[in-house]
Amino acid sequence: MDGSMEFTMGLSEGVAWPWPIAVYLFLAGISGGSLVVALAIRFFKGQTANTPLYKAASLISFVTIALGMLCLVLDLTNPLFFWRILVFYNFTSVMSVGVIALCVYIPLTAVLCLYAFEDEIKSIPALSILLPIINMLKPVRKPCEVTALILAAAVCAYTGFLISALIRFPLINTAVLPALFIASGVSAGAAASKMLSVFLFKEDMHSSELKILHGAEWPIMIAEILFICMIAMSLATGNAGAQSAFEAFTSGVWANLFWIGVVGVGFLGPILLNFATGKTFSHSAKAFYLSGVCAISGMMCLRLFILYAGQTYAI
Amino acid sequence: MSENIERRRFLKGMGAASLILGPMGCTSVEDDSKNANKPHYVMVFDQNKCVGCGECKEACNVANNLPDGKSKLLMEHQSGGVEGLACPHCGKEKCNCERKFVRVSCQQCKNAPCVSVCPTGAAHKDPETGIVTMDASKCAGCKYCIGACPYNARFINEETDVADNCDFCLNTKLAKGELPACVQQCKYDALIFGDANDPTSYVNKLLAVKDSVRMKPQFGTEPSLRYIPVVKLGV
Ligand code: SF4
Ligand code: SF4
Repeated sequence: MDGSMEFTMGLSEGVAWPWPIAVYLFLAGISGGSLVVALAIRFFKGQTANTPLYKAASLISFVTIALGMLCLVLDLTNPLFFWRILVFYNFTSVMSVGVIALCVYIPLTAVLCLYAFEDEIKSIPALSILLPIINMLKPVRKPCEVTALILAAAVCAYTGFLISALIRFPLINTAVLPALFIASGVSAGAAASKMLSVFLFKEDMHSSELKILHGAEWPIMIAEILFICMIAMSLATGNAGAQSAFEAFTSGVWANLFWIGVVGVGFLGPILLNFATGKTFSHSAKAFYLSGVCAISGMMCLRLFILYAGQTYAI
Repeated sequence: MSENIERRRFLKGMGAASLILGPMGCTSVEDDSKNANKPHYVMVFDQNKCVGCGECKEACNVANNLPDGKSKLLMEHQSGGVEGLACPHCGKEKCNCERKFVRVSCQQCKNAPCVSVCPTGAAHKDPETGIVTMDASKCAGCKYCIGACPYNARFINEETDVADNCDFCLNTKLAKGELPACVQQCKYDALIFGDANDPTSYVNKLLAVKDSVRMKPQFGTEPSLRYIPVVKLGV
Protein backbone atom coordinates (compact mmCIF):
# COMPACT_ATOMS: atom_id res chain seq x y z
CA MET A 1 0.00 0.00 0.00
CA ASP A 2 2.96 2.27 0.50
CA GLY A 3 2.97 5.20 -1.82
CA SER A 4 -0.73 5.23 -2.66
CA MET A 5 -0.98 8.67 -1.13
CA GLU A 6 1.08 11.80 -1.61
CA PHE A 7 1.16 15.43 -0.78
CA THR A 8 2.77 18.04 -2.93
CA MET A 9 2.79 21.09 -0.70
CA GLY A 10 5.63 22.04 1.57
CA LEU A 11 6.18 24.21 4.59
CA SER A 12 8.98 26.30 3.13
CA GLU A 13 8.81 28.04 -0.19
CA GLY A 14 11.48 28.60 -2.79
CA VAL A 15 14.93 27.09 -2.60
CA ALA A 16 16.46 26.49 0.79
CA TRP A 17 19.88 27.53 -0.42
CA PRO A 18 19.83 30.57 -2.73
CA TRP A 19 22.62 32.14 -4.78
CA PRO A 20 24.97 33.18 -1.96
CA ILE A 21 25.55 29.49 -1.35
CA ALA A 22 26.36 29.00 -5.05
CA VAL A 23 28.84 31.87 -4.78
CA TYR A 24 30.28 30.27 -1.67
CA LEU A 25 30.65 26.91 -3.41
CA PHE A 26 32.31 28.76 -6.29
CA LEU A 27 34.75 30.69 -4.12
CA ALA A 28 35.63 27.69 -1.96
CA GLY A 29 36.23 25.67 -5.15
CA ILE A 30 38.57 28.32 -6.57
CA SER A 31 40.38 28.63 -3.26
CA GLY A 32 41.00 24.92 -2.96
CA GLY A 33 41.66 24.44 -6.65
CA SER A 34 44.29 27.14 -6.96
CA LEU A 35 46.21 25.84 -3.95
CA VAL A 36 46.04 22.27 -5.20
CA VAL A 37 47.65 23.15 -8.53
CA ALA A 38 50.27 25.51 -7.12
CA LEU A 39 51.36 23.15 -4.35
CA ALA A 40 51.26 20.11 -6.59
CA ILE A 41 53.58 21.84 -9.07
CA ARG A 42 55.80 23.01 -6.23
CA PHE A 43 56.23 19.49 -4.87
CA PHE A 44 56.45 17.95 -8.31
CA LYS A 45 59.26 20.27 -9.37
CA GLY A 46 60.90 20.43 -5.97
CA GLN A 47 60.75 24.20 -5.86
CA THR A 48 61.87 26.17 -2.84
CA ALA A 49 61.59 29.75 -4.09
CA ASN A 50 58.41 31.81 -3.98
CA THR A 51 57.38 31.53 -7.60
CA PRO A 52 54.82 33.91 -9.10
CA LEU A 53 52.37 31.03 -9.34
CA TYR A 54 52.82 30.20 -5.67
CA LYS A 55 52.28 33.83 -4.70
CA ALA A 56 49.22 34.15 -6.89
CA ALA A 57 47.70 30.91 -5.64
CA SER A 58 48.24 31.63 -1.95
CA LEU A 59 46.77 35.10 -2.32
CA ILE A 60 43.77 33.82 -4.26
CA SER A 61 43.11 30.96 -1.89
CA PHE A 62 43.12 33.21 1.15
CA VAL A 63 41.00 35.99 -0.35
CA THR A 64 38.42 33.73 -1.97
CA ILE A 65 37.87 31.54 1.06
CA ALA A 66 37.51 34.63 3.25
CA LEU A 67 34.90 36.06 0.86
CA GLY A 68 33.24 32.67 0.70
CA MET A 69 32.91 32.60 4.47
CA LEU A 70 31.29 36.01 4.27
CA CYS A 71 28.68 34.65 1.84
CA LEU A 72 28.06 31.70 4.09
CA VAL A 73 27.58 33.81 7.18
CA LEU A 74 25.38 36.35 5.42
CA ASP A 75 23.13 33.57 4.19
CA LEU A 76 22.30 32.42 7.71
CA THR A 77 18.85 33.49 8.81
CA ASN A 78 20.58 35.54 11.45
CA PRO A 79 24.29 36.12 10.78
CA LEU A 80 24.84 36.76 14.47
CA PHE A 81 24.18 33.07 15.09
CA PHE A 82 27.24 31.97 13.13
CA TRP A 83 29.23 31.22 16.29
CA ARG A 84 26.88 28.36 17.01
CA ILE A 85 28.35 26.39 14.10
CA LEU A 86 31.79 26.91 15.60
CA VAL A 87 30.81 25.86 19.09
CA PHE A 88 28.44 22.94 18.55
CA TYR A 89 29.45 19.93 16.47
CA ASN A 90 27.63 16.99 15.02
CA PHE A 91 29.92 14.50 13.36
CA THR A 92 27.25 12.94 11.19
CA SER A 93 26.86 16.29 9.44
CA VAL A 94 28.99 17.01 6.39
CA MET A 95 28.75 20.70 7.21
CA SER A 96 30.15 20.19 10.67
CA VAL A 97 33.09 18.15 9.37
CA GLY A 98 33.67 20.83 6.75
CA VAL A 99 33.72 23.52 9.40
CA ILE A 100 36.48 21.64 11.20
CA ALA A 101 38.49 21.40 7.98
CA LEU A 102 37.93 25.08 7.25
CA CYS A 103 39.00 26.05 10.75
CA VAL A 104 42.43 24.64 9.93
CA TYR A 105 42.44 25.49 6.24
CA ILE A 106 41.70 29.21 6.51
CA PRO A 107 44.55 30.01 8.93
CA LEU A 108 46.81 27.83 6.79
CA THR A 109 46.08 29.87 3.67
CA ALA A 110 46.98 32.97 5.66
CA VAL A 111 50.24 31.32 6.74
CA LEU A 112 51.03 30.40 3.13
CA CYS A 113 50.52 34.05 2.22
CA LEU A 114 53.05 35.03 4.86
CA TYR A 115 55.57 32.57 3.39
CA ALA A 116 54.86 33.69 -0.15
CA PHE A 117 55.14 37.40 0.48
CA GLU A 118 58.07 37.39 2.87
CA ASP A 119 60.15 39.72 0.68
CA GLU A 120 57.29 42.11 0.08
CA ILE A 121 56.49 42.22 3.79
CA LYS A 122 60.14 42.96 4.56
CA SER A 123 60.09 45.93 2.22
CA ILE A 124 57.05 47.53 3.87
CA PRO A 125 58.01 48.90 7.31
CA ALA A 126 54.42 49.01 8.53
CA LEU A 127 54.20 45.24 8.23
CA SER A 128 57.41 44.52 10.10
CA ILE A 129 55.46 43.15 13.07
CA LEU A 130 54.76 40.12 10.88
CA LEU A 131 58.44 39.26 10.46
CA PRO A 132 58.96 37.48 13.78
CA ILE A 133 55.86 35.40 13.03
CA ILE A 134 57.27 34.43 9.65
CA ASN A 135 60.58 33.44 11.19
CA MET A 136 58.80 31.41 13.80
CA LEU A 137 56.76 29.58 11.17
CA LYS A 138 59.65 28.93 8.80
CA PRO A 139 60.79 25.58 10.22
CA VAL A 140 57.32 24.08 9.71
CA ARG A 141 56.87 25.28 6.16
CA LYS A 142 56.93 21.85 4.55
CA PRO A 143 54.39 20.21 6.89
CA CYS A 144 52.18 23.30 6.58
CA GLU A 145 52.24 23.04 2.82
CA VAL A 146 51.52 19.33 2.79
CA THR A 147 48.58 19.83 5.14
CA ALA A 148 47.38 22.73 3.02
CA LEU A 149 47.48 20.58 -0.11
CA ILE A 150 45.44 17.85 1.52
CA LEU A 151 42.95 20.28 3.00
CA ALA A 152 42.66 22.22 -0.25
CA ALA A 153 41.58 19.06 -2.04
CA ALA A 154 39.29 18.26 0.88
CA VAL A 155 37.64 21.68 0.70
CA CYS A 156 36.96 21.23 -3.02
CA ALA A 157 35.44 17.82 -2.38
CA TYR A 158 33.57 19.00 0.69
CA THR A 159 31.58 21.55 -1.30
CA GLY A 160 30.30 18.64 -3.38
CA PHE A 161 29.60 16.34 -0.42
CA LEU A 162 27.84 19.19 1.36
CA ILE A 163 25.08 19.45 -1.18
CA SER A 164 25.01 15.86 -2.39
CA ALA A 165 23.58 15.00 1.05
CA LEU A 166 20.28 16.59 0.05
CA ILE A 167 18.40 13.43 -0.82
CA ARG A 168 15.25 15.04 -2.15
CA PHE A 169 16.95 16.41 -5.28
CA PRO A 170 18.02 13.80 -7.86
CA LEU A 171 20.33 16.19 -9.70
CA ILE A 172 22.21 17.07 -6.52
CA ASN A 173 22.07 13.76 -4.73
CA THR A 174 24.63 11.99 -6.90
CA ALA A 175 27.85 10.26 -5.98
CA VAL A 176 29.76 11.94 -8.80
CA LEU A 177 29.09 15.47 -7.60
CA PRO A 178 32.11 15.73 -5.28
CA ALA A 179 34.38 14.51 -8.08
CA LEU A 180 32.84 17.00 -10.48
CA PHE A 181 33.34 19.79 -7.97
CA ILE A 182 36.98 18.83 -7.44
CA ALA A 183 37.62 18.82 -11.18
CA SER A 184 35.84 22.10 -11.85
CA GLY A 185 37.40 23.70 -8.78
CA VAL A 186 40.86 22.69 -9.92
CA SER A 187 40.35 23.96 -13.46
CA ALA A 188 38.94 27.31 -12.33
CA GLY A 189 41.53 27.63 -9.59
CA ALA A 190 44.29 26.93 -12.09
CA ALA A 191 42.87 29.54 -14.46
CA ALA A 192 42.60 32.12 -11.71
CA SER A 193 46.12 31.65 -10.37
CA LYS A 194 47.55 31.53 -13.88
CA MET A 195 46.01 34.87 -14.74
CA LEU A 196 47.01 36.52 -11.49
CA SER A 197 50.57 35.24 -11.68
CA VAL A 198 50.97 36.76 -15.13
CA PHE A 199 49.07 39.94 -14.39
CA LEU A 200 50.39 40.84 -10.95
CA PHE A 201 53.57 38.88 -10.48
CA LYS A 202 54.93 39.16 -14.00
CA GLU A 203 55.18 35.49 -14.74
CA ASP A 204 56.11 34.75 -18.34
CA MET A 205 53.01 33.51 -20.17
CA HIS A 206 55.04 30.72 -21.72
CA SER A 207 57.04 29.70 -18.66
CA SER A 208 57.55 26.02 -17.94
CA GLU A 209 55.10 26.08 -15.04
CA LEU A 210 52.31 27.60 -17.03
CA LYS A 211 53.07 25.06 -19.76
CA ILE A 212 52.41 22.27 -17.30
CA LEU A 213 49.15 23.95 -16.36
CA HIS A 214 48.16 24.36 -19.99
CA GLY A 215 48.86 20.69 -20.50
CA ALA A 216 46.85 19.66 -17.44
CA GLU A 217 43.86 21.82 -18.33
CA TRP A 218 42.54 19.64 -21.11
CA PRO A 219 42.48 16.32 -19.28
CA ILE A 220 40.75 18.02 -16.35
CA MET A 221 38.18 19.50 -18.67
CA ILE A 222 37.57 16.12 -20.24
CA ALA A 223 37.08 14.67 -16.78
CA GLU A 224 34.56 17.42 -16.00
CA ILE A 225 32.62 16.74 -19.18
CA LEU A 226 32.67 13.05 -18.39
CA PHE A 227 31.31 13.61 -14.88
CA ILE A 228 28.53 15.83 -16.18
CA CYS A 229 27.63 13.17 -18.76
CA MET A 230 27.56 10.56 -16.01
CA ILE A 231 25.12 12.64 -13.97
CA ALA A 232 22.95 13.36 -17.02
CA MET A 233 22.92 9.72 -18.11
CA SER A 234 22.07 8.40 -14.68
CA LEU A 235 19.15 10.84 -14.52
CA ALA A 236 17.94 10.09 -18.02
CA THR A 237 17.95 6.35 -17.43
CA GLY A 238 16.89 6.44 -13.77
CA ASN A 239 13.52 6.17 -12.07
CA ALA A 240 10.64 8.57 -12.66
CA GLY A 241 11.98 11.14 -10.21
CA ALA A 242 15.40 11.12 -11.84
CA GLN A 243 13.86 11.39 -15.28
CA SER A 244 11.85 14.42 -14.30
CA ALA A 245 15.04 16.00 -12.95
CA PHE A 246 16.67 15.35 -16.32
CA GLU A 247 14.42 18.11 -17.63
CA ALA A 248 16.81 20.50 -15.94
CA PHE A 249 19.08 19.88 -18.92
CA THR A 250 16.44 20.24 -21.58
CA SER A 251 13.98 22.96 -20.65
CA GLY A 252 13.61 26.12 -18.70
CA VAL A 253 15.87 28.95 -17.70
CA TRP A 254 18.36 26.67 -15.94
CA ALA A 255 18.82 24.61 -19.07
CA ASN A 256 19.77 27.83 -20.86
CA LEU A 257 22.26 28.60 -18.13
CA PHE A 258 23.70 25.13 -18.54
CA TRP A 259 24.02 25.14 -22.31
CA ILE A 260 25.12 28.74 -22.70
CA GLY A 261 27.06 29.23 -19.50
CA VAL A 262 28.56 25.86 -18.67
CA VAL A 263 28.90 24.28 -22.08
CA GLY A 264 29.19 27.35 -24.31
CA VAL A 265 31.32 29.65 -22.22
CA GLY A 266 33.01 27.18 -19.91
CA PHE A 267 33.93 24.37 -22.29
CA LEU A 268 33.61 25.60 -25.87
CA GLY A 269 35.06 29.03 -25.06
CA PRO A 270 38.56 27.87 -24.12
CA ILE A 271 38.55 25.15 -26.78
CA LEU A 272 37.69 27.57 -29.57
CA LEU A 273 40.10 30.22 -28.30
CA ASN A 274 42.94 27.73 -28.28
CA PHE A 275 42.31 25.56 -31.29
CA ALA A 276 40.01 27.40 -33.69
CA THR A 277 41.97 30.63 -33.93
CA GLY A 278 45.32 31.33 -35.59
CA LYS A 279 48.50 30.47 -33.78
CA THR A 280 49.38 34.10 -33.20
CA PHE A 281 46.03 34.87 -31.55
CA SER A 282 45.83 31.71 -29.51
CA HIS A 283 49.24 32.50 -28.06
CA SER A 284 48.44 36.13 -27.36
CA ALA A 285 47.73 37.65 -23.99
CA LYS A 286 44.16 38.36 -25.06
CA ALA A 287 43.43 34.72 -25.71
CA PHE A 288 45.17 33.76 -22.47
CA TYR A 289 43.00 36.01 -20.30
CA LEU A 290 39.82 35.34 -22.26
CA SER A 291 40.07 31.60 -21.91
CA GLY A 292 40.85 31.97 -18.21
CA VAL A 293 37.79 34.13 -17.71
CA CYS A 294 35.74 31.58 -19.68
CA ALA A 295 36.85 28.73 -17.44
CA ILE A 296 36.01 30.67 -14.29
CA SER A 297 32.62 31.90 -15.52
CA GLY A 298 31.78 28.42 -16.67
CA MET A 299 32.47 27.11 -13.20
CA MET A 300 30.28 29.76 -11.59
CA CYS A 301 27.47 28.83 -14.01
CA LEU A 302 27.93 25.18 -13.14
CA ARG A 303 27.50 25.83 -9.40
CA LEU A 304 24.47 28.03 -10.02
CA PHE A 305 22.97 25.44 -12.33
CA ILE A 306 23.49 22.54 -9.95
CA LEU A 307 22.16 24.45 -6.97
CA TYR A 308 19.13 26.07 -8.57
CA ALA A 309 18.10 23.49 -11.12
CA GLY A 310 18.85 20.83 -8.54
CA GLN A 311 16.60 22.35 -5.93
CA THR A 312 13.90 23.11 -8.49
CA TYR A 313 13.47 19.49 -9.51
CA ALA A 314 12.62 17.79 -6.24
CA ILE A 315 11.14 14.32 -6.03
CA MET B 1 -14.96 8.75 21.85
CA SER B 2 -11.82 6.90 21.04
CA GLU B 3 -9.98 10.13 21.54
CA ASN B 4 -10.81 10.21 25.23
CA ILE B 5 -9.92 6.61 25.78
CA GLU B 6 -6.74 7.28 23.97
CA ARG B 7 -5.97 10.24 26.18
CA ARG B 8 -6.34 8.15 29.29
CA ARG B 9 -4.12 5.45 27.83
CA PHE B 10 -1.59 8.03 26.86
CA LEU B 11 -1.48 9.53 30.33
CA LYS B 12 -1.12 6.07 31.79
CA GLY B 13 1.72 5.44 29.36
CA MET B 14 3.46 8.60 30.42
CA GLY B 15 3.15 7.48 34.03
CA ALA B 16 4.69 4.12 33.22
CA ALA B 17 7.48 5.80 31.30
CA SER B 18 8.40 7.93 34.28
CA LEU B 19 8.47 4.79 36.43
CA ILE B 20 10.89 3.10 34.05
CA LEU B 21 13.11 6.10 34.07
CA GLY B 22 12.89 6.42 37.83
CA PRO B 23 15.42 4.57 39.96
CA MET B 24 12.75 2.26 41.37
CA GLY B 25 11.52 1.13 37.99
CA CYS B 26 8.95 -1.64 38.03
CA THR B 27 10.62 -4.96 37.38
CA SER B 28 8.10 -6.48 35.02
CA VAL B 29 8.84 -3.69 32.52
CA GLU B 30 12.56 -3.85 33.03
CA ASP B 31 12.52 -7.49 32.00
CA ASP B 32 11.46 -6.49 28.50
CA SER B 33 14.10 -5.95 25.91
CA LYS B 34 15.55 -2.48 25.95
CA ASN B 35 14.02 -1.56 22.64
CA ALA B 36 10.48 -2.38 23.58
CA ASN B 37 10.73 -0.07 26.57
CA LYS B 38 11.45 2.88 24.36
CA PRO B 39 8.30 4.55 23.25
CA HIS B 40 7.70 5.08 19.57
CA TYR B 41 5.17 7.82 19.24
CA VAL B 42 3.18 7.71 16.06
CA MET B 43 0.38 9.72 14.64
CA VAL B 44 -2.22 8.32 12.29
CA PHE B 45 -4.11 10.54 9.90
CA ASP B 46 -7.33 8.98 8.66
CA GLN B 47 -8.26 10.44 5.32
CA ASN B 48 -11.68 8.81 5.47
CA LYS B 49 -12.58 10.91 8.48
CA CYS B 50 -10.91 14.24 7.80
CA VAL B 51 -13.38 16.83 6.50
CA GLY B 52 -10.77 19.53 5.97
CA CYS B 53 -12.10 21.91 8.61
CA GLY B 54 -8.55 23.01 9.38
CA GLU B 55 -9.13 23.30 13.11
CA CYS B 56 -6.10 21.13 13.79
CA LYS B 57 -3.94 23.75 12.17
CA GLU B 58 -5.44 26.56 14.20
CA ALA B 59 -5.06 24.60 17.40
CA CYS B 60 -1.42 23.95 16.52
CA ASN B 61 -0.71 27.60 15.84
CA VAL B 62 -2.20 28.59 19.18
CA ALA B 63 -0.54 25.83 21.17
CA ASN B 64 2.88 26.44 19.70
CA ASN B 65 2.72 30.22 19.56
CA LEU B 66 3.58 30.53 15.91
CA PRO B 67 3.92 33.88 14.18
CA ASP B 68 1.15 34.90 11.78
CA GLY B 69 1.20 33.12 8.47
CA LYS B 70 3.45 30.31 9.68
CA SER B 71 2.28 26.83 10.52
CA LYS B 72 3.80 23.56 11.49
CA LEU B 73 1.10 21.77 9.60
CA LEU B 74 -0.84 22.33 6.40
CA MET B 75 -3.85 20.68 4.84
CA GLU B 76 -3.64 19.83 1.19
CA HIS B 77 -6.97 19.70 -0.59
CA GLN B 78 -6.97 17.09 -3.29
CA SER B 79 -9.89 16.63 -5.62
CA GLY B 80 -10.04 13.34 -7.40
CA GLY B 81 -10.98 14.92 -10.70
CA VAL B 82 -8.64 15.48 -13.60
CA GLU B 83 -8.75 18.96 -15.06
CA GLY B 84 -10.73 19.17 -18.27
CA LEU B 85 -12.39 15.80 -17.74
CA ALA B 86 -15.79 15.06 -16.33
CA CYS B 87 -15.86 14.07 -12.68
CA PRO B 88 -16.26 10.31 -12.37
CA HIS B 89 -18.78 10.89 -9.57
CA CYS B 90 -21.25 13.48 -10.74
CA GLY B 91 -20.36 13.84 -14.39
CA LYS B 92 -19.81 17.59 -14.15
CA GLU B 93 -16.62 19.11 -15.32
CA LYS B 94 -16.29 21.53 -12.43
CA CYS B 95 -17.34 20.03 -9.19
CA ASN B 96 -16.28 19.82 -5.64
CA CYS B 97 -17.86 16.55 -4.87
CA GLU B 98 -14.83 14.47 -4.23
CA ARG B 99 -12.77 16.06 -1.55
CA LYS B 100 -9.75 14.53 -0.01
CA PHE B 101 -7.45 16.11 2.47
CA VAL B 102 -3.90 15.27 3.38
CA ARG B 103 -2.06 16.43 6.42
CA VAL B 104 1.31 17.97 5.54
CA SER B 105 3.70 18.15 8.44
CA CYS B 106 6.93 16.73 9.77
CA GLN B 107 6.77 12.97 9.31
CA GLN B 108 8.81 12.32 12.44
CA CYS B 109 11.26 10.08 10.67
CA LYS B 110 12.90 7.33 12.66
CA ASN B 111 15.88 7.78 10.39
CA ALA B 112 15.74 11.56 10.11
CA PRO B 113 17.95 13.33 7.55
CA CYS B 114 17.34 16.69 9.22
CA VAL B 115 18.93 15.35 12.39
CA SER B 116 21.92 13.81 10.68
CA VAL B 117 22.79 16.88 8.59
CA CYS B 118 22.31 19.52 11.27
CA PRO B 119 25.82 20.82 12.02
CA THR B 120 25.03 21.99 15.52
CA GLY B 121 22.76 19.25 16.79
CA ALA B 122 19.93 21.79 17.05
CA ALA B 123 17.67 19.44 15.12
CA HIS B 124 17.80 16.40 17.37
CA LYS B 125 15.84 13.50 18.74
CA ASP B 126 14.51 13.95 22.21
CA PRO B 127 16.41 11.22 24.09
CA GLU B 128 13.41 10.11 26.15
CA THR B 129 10.67 10.01 23.55
CA GLY B 130 12.64 9.73 20.31
CA ILE B 131 10.63 12.65 18.91
CA VAL B 132 12.47 14.89 16.43
CA THR B 133 12.53 18.36 17.90
CA MET B 134 14.55 21.56 18.01
CA ASP B 135 16.98 23.07 20.43
CA ALA B 136 16.43 26.65 19.31
CA SER B 137 19.40 27.89 21.28
CA LYS B 138 21.79 25.86 19.11
CA CYS B 139 20.36 26.48 15.63
CA ALA B 140 22.57 28.61 13.41
CA GLY B 141 19.91 29.09 10.75
CA CYS B 142 21.96 27.47 7.99
CA LYS B 143 18.84 25.86 6.46
CA TYR B 144 20.69 22.62 5.78
CA CYS B 145 17.89 20.68 7.47
CA ILE B 146 15.29 22.39 5.29
CA GLY B 147 17.06 21.25 2.13
CA ALA B 148 17.69 17.80 3.55
CA CYS B 149 14.14 17.03 4.70
CA PRO B 150 12.63 14.94 1.90
CA TYR B 151 9.15 16.11 2.85
CA ASN B 152 9.79 19.85 2.83
CA ALA B 153 8.34 19.81 6.32
CA ARG B 154 10.64 22.32 7.97
CA PHE B 155 10.60 26.09 7.93
CA ILE B 156 12.27 29.10 9.44
CA ASN B 157 10.30 30.68 12.23
CA GLU B 158 10.61 34.38 11.49
CA GLU B 159 10.20 35.33 15.10
CA THR B 160 13.12 33.32 16.36
CA ASP B 161 15.15 33.13 13.12
CA VAL B 162 15.68 29.42 13.64
CA ALA B 163 14.33 26.30 12.00
CA ASP B 164 11.24 24.56 13.28
CA ASN B 165 9.16 21.44 12.69
CA CYS B 166 6.11 19.66 14.06
CA ASP B 167 7.30 17.81 17.13
CA PHE B 168 4.00 16.33 18.27
CA CYS B 169 3.74 19.24 20.73
CA LEU B 170 6.61 17.69 22.68
CA ASN B 171 7.43 20.85 24.57
CA THR B 172 3.94 22.24 24.85
CA LYS B 173 1.19 19.66 25.27
CA LEU B 174 3.12 16.44 25.78
CA ALA B 175 5.19 18.08 28.47
CA LYS B 176 1.94 18.56 30.39
CA GLY B 177 0.83 15.01 29.79
CA GLU B 178 -1.71 16.03 27.18
CA LEU B 179 -2.21 14.84 23.63
CA PRO B 180 -0.89 17.03 20.78
CA ALA B 181 -3.10 20.07 20.23
CA CYS B 182 -4.29 18.96 16.79
CA VAL B 183 -5.32 15.55 18.09
CA GLN B 184 -7.24 17.11 20.96
CA GLN B 185 -8.97 19.49 18.61
CA CYS B 186 -10.10 17.08 15.90
CA LYS B 187 -13.83 16.51 16.24
CA TYR B 188 -13.92 13.79 13.65
CA ASP B 189 -11.36 11.39 15.10
CA ALA B 190 -9.20 11.79 12.03
CA LEU B 191 -6.04 12.03 14.13
CA ILE B 192 -4.87 9.33 16.46
CA PHE B 193 -1.74 9.57 18.54
CA GLY B 194 0.05 7.20 20.85
CA ASP B 195 2.90 4.84 21.54
CA ALA B 196 3.13 2.15 18.89
CA ASN B 197 5.47 0.13 21.09
CA ASP B 198 2.82 -0.22 23.78
CA PRO B 199 0.80 -3.32 22.97
CA THR B 200 -2.23 -1.99 24.82
CA SER B 201 -2.35 1.37 23.05
CA TYR B 202 -5.16 2.27 20.69
CA VAL B 203 -2.78 3.22 17.88
CA ASN B 204 -1.12 -0.13 18.17
CA LYS B 205 -4.43 -1.92 17.78
CA LEU B 206 -5.55 0.41 15.04
CA LEU B 207 -2.42 -0.14 13.01
CA ALA B 208 -2.83 -3.88 13.48
CA VAL B 209 -6.21 -3.91 11.80
CA LYS B 210 -6.04 -1.00 9.35
CA ASP B 211 -3.95 -0.61 6.28
CA SER B 212 -1.88 2.51 6.57
CA VAL B 213 0.76 4.04 4.36
CA ARG B 214 3.86 6.12 4.87
CA MET B 215 4.73 9.02 2.64
CA LYS B 216 7.55 8.61 0.13
CA PRO B 217 8.86 5.39 1.64
CA GLN B 218 11.59 5.24 -1.00
CA PHE B 219 13.67 7.68 1.00
CA GLY B 220 14.14 5.12 3.73
CA THR B 221 13.41 7.66 6.43
CA GLU B 222 10.80 5.48 8.17
CA PRO B 223 8.23 8.14 9.04
CA SER B 224 6.19 7.85 12.23
CA LEU B 225 3.27 9.67 10.69
CA ARG B 226 0.97 7.20 9.03
CA TYR B 227 -1.94 7.75 6.72
CA ILE B 228 -5.08 5.74 6.19
CA PRO B 229 -6.04 6.54 2.60
CA VAL B 230 -9.46 6.71 1.08
CA VAL B 231 -9.65 3.61 -1.00
CA LYS B 232 -12.03 3.87 -3.86
CA LEU B 233 -13.02 0.86 -5.83
CA GLY B 234 -13.95 0.72 -9.45
CA VAL B 235 -12.89 4.11 -10.75
S1 SF4 C 1 9.95 14.83 8.03
FE1 SF4 C 1 11.67 16.16 7.67
S2 SF4 C 1 11.75 17.42 9.50
FE2 SF4 C 1 10.50 15.68 10.02
S3 SF4 C 1 11.92 14.18 10.90
FE3 SF4 C 1 11.75 13.72 8.72
S4 SF4 C 1 13.46 14.81 7.81
FE4 SF4 C 1 13.13 15.70 9.82
S1 SF4 D 1 18.99 25.52 10.24
FE1 SF4 D 1 19.37 25.07 12.42
S2 SF4 D 1 18.37 23.10 12.78
FE2 SF4 D 1 18.57 23.34 10.58
S3 SF4 D 1 20.48 22.32 10.05
FE3 SF4 D 1 20.97 24.48 10.34
S4 SF4 D 1 21.57 24.61 12.49
FE4 SF4 D 1 20.51 22.67 12.27
